[in-house]
Amino acid sequence: MLSFDFLGTVGLNHYLIVSAALFCIGMVGVLLRRNVLVILMSIELMLNAVNLSFVAFSHFSQNINGQVMVFFVMTIAAAEAGVGLALAVTIFKRFKEVNISFFEQLKG
Amino acid sequence: MDISVLLFYGMSFIILSFALAVVVSNNPVYSAFYLAITMVSLAFVYFLLQAYFIAGVQLIVYAGAVMVLFVMVLMMFDLKKEKDSFSKGRLSNILKVGSVGWLWGLIAGAIYMSSDLLSIGATLHTKDGVGTTTKDLAILLYTDYIFAFELLGLLLLLIAVGAVAVSRIKGGTHA
Repeated sequence: MLSFDFLGTVGLNHYLIVSAALFCIGMVGVLLRRNVLVILMSIELMLNAVNLSFVAFSHFSQNINGQVMVFFVMTIAAAEAGVGLALAVTIFKRFKEVNISFFEQLKG
Repeated sequence: MDISVLLFYGMSFIILSFALAVVVSNNPVYSAFYLAITMVSLAFVYFLLQAYFIAGVQLIVYAGAVMVLFVMVLMMFDLKKEKDSFSKGRLSNILKVGSVGWLWGLIAGAIYMSSDLLSIGATLHTKDGVGTTTKDLAILLYTDYIFAFELLGLLLLLIAVGAVAVSRIKGGTHA
């Protein structure tokens, strides 16, 4: 018999489920899309899912260390977006294309 | 039913549907727009979780800086005619979506099975005298995590220099 008591109150599990779903949506984007910019956006989605689970754990265990980790993850994500977009601009200048299937011809 | 419960369900619905729209949308400009909405809704959820500083940083860094970066790069590219926006191969796509759905099922099952464990271990590691306000976060950032914080500053400097160096490459194999 299914019970629907879990709908009335919001606990840690609800936030973790949403975080896992957000992570999986980002993963689908990374796997399915071929546009470099959309792949970078999907990576941002995955990082945000991790941040959401950090903040949820931090709130429900009354421990602020998780929020410090979120701060660090945000900084790293901003740096990653900067480098990724710089690389995308460079590759676009060379090949006039943002589709990753064209990047197979890259040579060092 | 409490108002915060309704807010949680509404916000999670908005977050998940717009995240899906980011992935599904054919136009990268629309994807960037949906991503901005997702970021703002996530900031609202952080606000619900009483992480006020993190909510503000999310709004400033993600919905502000990172989204502006994406939109600037999108404006530089000519993306009117995008074909093959999804990878080819129906079977491999079905396999990819199926395996990711399976991963989500595994995580959800693990969360469901360990729900008792999570509620028991919830208050085990609280340090005495450390609250959850923004002031406590700042004190922690400048005492326990000061080394990592300084390293982050160094990393940002390296990234700034590196991004400029990468974007100056003219297109040859040697810079």
